[in-house]
Amino acid sequence: MTPSIARDNVRAMEGEMLKGHLDLIVLAALSRGPAHGYAVIQEIQRRSGGAFVLPEGTIYPALHRLEEAGLLGSHWTTADSGRQRRVYALTKRGTRALADQRAI
Amino acid sequence: MPQRAPVADYLDALTRELSFDRPLAHRVRHEVEDHLWEATAADGDASIEAQARAVRSFGEAREIAGQYAALSLLRQARRSGAIIVLASGALYIAMRGRVAWYGLMQWALSDTLQPVGKVVLAIDRTAYLLAFLRGSLGWAYISSRRVSPRFHAGCRAQLRRGLLLAIAAACPMVVSVIADAVVTALRPLEERPHVSVFLIPLLSIAIEVAFAAVLVIAIGKTLRNTRRASSLLPS
Repeated sequence: MTPSIARDNVRAMEGEMLKGHLDLIVLAALSRGPAHGYAVIQEIQRRSGGAFVLPEGTIYPALHRLEEAGLLGSHWTTADSGRQRRVYALTKRGTRALADQRAI
Repeated sequence: MPQRAPVADYLDALTRELSFDRPLAHRVRHEVEDHLWEATAADGDASIEAQARAVRSFGEAREIAGQYAALSLLRQARRSGAIIVLASGALYIAMRGRVAWYGLMQWALSDTLQPVGKVVLAIDRTAYLLAFLRGSLGWAYISSRRVSPRFHAGCRAQLRRGLLLAIAAACPMVVSVIADAVVTALRPLEERPHVSVFLIPLLSIAIEVAFAAVLVIAIGKTLRNTRRASSLLPS
């Protein structure tokens, strides 16, 4: 196995791990502060070094799911463009859940 | 024919796929619209090609809508469960209020109608108890289910069980309301009281019928939306 093939295999594995831990990754991305969906994806891609290869749209069901579970809260704002924007933030429960997962 | 913009087409397609939950479809449309235009702007321009790239990166509308289905269906099932419990409470209060009113007015069933009244009351109580027990069980069951990121056979089975329990509670509840209406109608058959005396029992029956109707409509809506959403889910 050449180094480049090994590198590709590691990236593929990292990508699969990311898929399995999407909820935790989304919580971690919001730990820096409130953000809307697009900004969350940008943060995840930055942190993963490009290993996040899921369709961007998969973030939104995850955000809704986490909000339903009480780990995130959200509200509408108006972006500079004038468009309606939904901004998400960690709740106290979400912060605790993230800290617990990180401790593990 | 003028070329439609990929973003507009995608938003329409996503809204159609989310037809099983209109409030969700409305919210998601606005969120995704913001996302796609921001992605297009990050690409440098708002050209058709840039929009198409943003839409491709976002994912297939059907697949994205399918990921919402599990959450939406569970939420709707939980709402039906909560309505059953509320309706049971409302029915109980209406029944007790009616009985208290009859006691206050000293308005008992005549000797002729008492045997009929006893049978109908027995049916009423059994049906109510069944509705309450099944409804509480169904609500506890569906409330304890966690939303899975992926909708699989196990999730579908859980939703089916929750809905079956809701239907199993709604049927005896409707029987109970009908029995209450029959017992209430028996009283004025012989005595023909003043309308003001009969107003309270009439109002309590109207409340029971309203709650039963809301419950049947809610369960029907959940069943219809479940059928609509099921086509999106992996087999």
